[in-house]
Amino acid sequence: MSDASTTDIPPELLQVAEENGIPLDLMRRALALGFPADAIRQQMSMPGVTAEAAEQFISEQEKIRSGGEITIPDDVLALSREKNWPEELIKRALTLGAPSAMLIQQMNAGITAEQAASFIAQQEQLRGGAGGAPKLDLSWMKVPTEWGMRISPGKKGLTVGMLNVGTYADIPDFWPYHSEMPRGAHPILGLPAMGYSIYEKAELWSENAADLYEEAIQRRWRPSTDVPWESMEDLPDAVEKAVCQLCTHISERALVAGDIVGAWLPEMSYGYHEVKLYLSVAEFDVARWFEVFRKRALSNGGGLGIQAPGYFHRTLIDARAWTEASAALHILAASQLMMLFQIGHYTAHNDAERTIFSYCIQDVARQRGYGSQHLKYFLSRHSERRVEISHVLNKYEVMLQYEWDADTPLREALMILLGGGASPEQIADGASKLEYFRKRWANDYVDQLAAAGLGERRDKVHRSIKQYISEPEEAAAAAA
Amino acid sequence: MAQEVKTKATFPSVEWFDALKEIINDDEAYKRHGTCDASVGIKVPEAGKYFVITFEAFGVEGVKETDEAAAENTDFWMEQSYDQWQEMIKNIADNGKADLGHTLNTLDVEYPDGLARSNDGYRRDLFYRFNQSFQHFFDATAQIDTRFA
Repeated sequence: MSDASTTDIPPELLQVAEENGIPLDLMRRALALGFPADAIRQQMSMPGVTAEAAEQFISEQEKIRSGGEITIPDDVLALSREKNWPEELIKRALTLGAPSAMLIQQMNAGITAEQAASFIAQQEQLRGGAGGAPKLDLSWMKVPTEWGMRISPGKKGLTVGMLNVGTYADIPDFWPYHSEMPRGAHPILGLPAMGYSIYEKAELWSENAADLYEEAIQRRWRPSTDVPWESMEDLPDAVEKAVCQLCTHISERALVAGDIVGAWLPEMSYGYHEVKLYLSVAEFDVARWFEVFRKRALSNGGGLGIQAPGYFHRTLIDARAWTEASAALHILAASQLMMLFQIGHYTAHNDAERTIFSYCIQDVARQRGYGSQHLKYFLSRHSERRVEISHVLNKYEVMLQYEWDADTPLREALMILLGGGASPEQIADGASKLEYFRKRWANDYVDQLAAAGLGERRDKVHRSIKQYISEPEEAAAAAA
Repeated sequence: MAQEVKTKATFPSVEWFDALKEIINDDEAYKRHGTCDASVGIKVPEAGKYFVITFEAFGVEGVKETDEAAAENTDFWMEQSYDQWQEMIKNIADNGKADLGHTLNTLDVEYPDGLARSNDGYRRDLFYRFNQSFQHFFDATAQIDTRFA
């Protein structure tokens, strides 16, 4: 216990003491008992409080704190028996410094013993300090995960991929947990399943996923301010309409891509968080495409065009396996989208369009990076399913061509953009250039398949694509 | 949009690429594009000049003159005729950055075999994935008073 004589008295208590005739020594003793100055001021200011009553209360508290017997005043004791408040509860309240008058008031107000016990327990915990601290379990501190990790940043900062060291680098072929537990944490057995359906690494893994995540985060861009919108000027009517039709088409594809990836993410278990992280950011990428092409369509005197037939989109939505959906979306469709972005950049009329398409080319290339490397990993673990994947691609190639043939607005818009206008000569020029871009796209697509380990599809792609494929001799001659 | 000319060098030479490397490694705006990891071959066939540029993290790690095979043994190589290289570099010098007709993306689609070439479709895609970094790299040639060999 502190020495009362050395305890300073705050000015507000000096004032209360003077006004109510309370000796300063009583104030010092109250402070020494640990009562907050504000609480003392309130108590001492209450009507009817005398120096004698204060002396009695403080003496009782000093006796309690020094281990002496707690004396319950007769009136409080009588009422507590009437109201069924146990004596022990009253003593705990008095130990906390509750005035007799307040206890009487509370009991008369109908507060039950249970309610009082709960409140008193809270106060005891708050007042406890070091001596009365709640007893902690702390068994969780003995969790058998790998400890003492000190991974330092490298040239690229502290990246997700760098965290894969020690046991944290164990990425099992099959993830055995059905809950949302992060890889490397210790499981609680018996938790309800989260409803994932992909537990096999081969069904979603890509060795570059962690790098793609970092890359996508670093290369994010803001359509609102990163695009020099002020650079846009009025375009000939047909050209503006063609730009807007292309914007409408890409916006729609962005929505579908978002829906597809968004539907598959909850199917993927948490053993492979690198993939989930990257695909989450890829979702953001396609949302940004929707945003930026809608902004372009509505910011230069035009508006939205006509929607796409959507045959290919509906086929994609119906994919029954992620690898199938990813191959169709991230290799086939993304390669065609790369062609559209390249045409957009090639025909850009101002810095705003050039900037938009440049950024989009980066974004879609990352998606191809995931798609080709996931398919490569899948085939390396399931070589017996090469034929199945080839059949799957047959289906999507046919549907993409069907969509292309049915999407007259898109094809005509591209011809107008590539020809620079809608005159017969410009349309002829545009049609010729579109064929050139289609050839580039077809060869680019089979290169992506080859990078994924499906080089044999060069000879098996749908005839609509195969007609554009350069034969090896032709390619060699062109390069010479 | 003229850029401040910081040095003189002759294209194509290691000195020219080294000057570019120094400019880029001091350029905070280049770092803001994000990290870029790629080994890039540069081919100027008529001049018999071949280089390999190593991009790593937030800068350019190294430049070396090499032979044609080594330039092709990279993630991808950029190849155009001496005249086309000259036109691109002059365009950048005149405009402070490549105009719409001379960006890497435009040149890539204009050449039947592309500006960026590779023996691997996945590795060639690094040209597209880090395109803003590579464009920034070449746009910085506006800061070199380039002589042509």
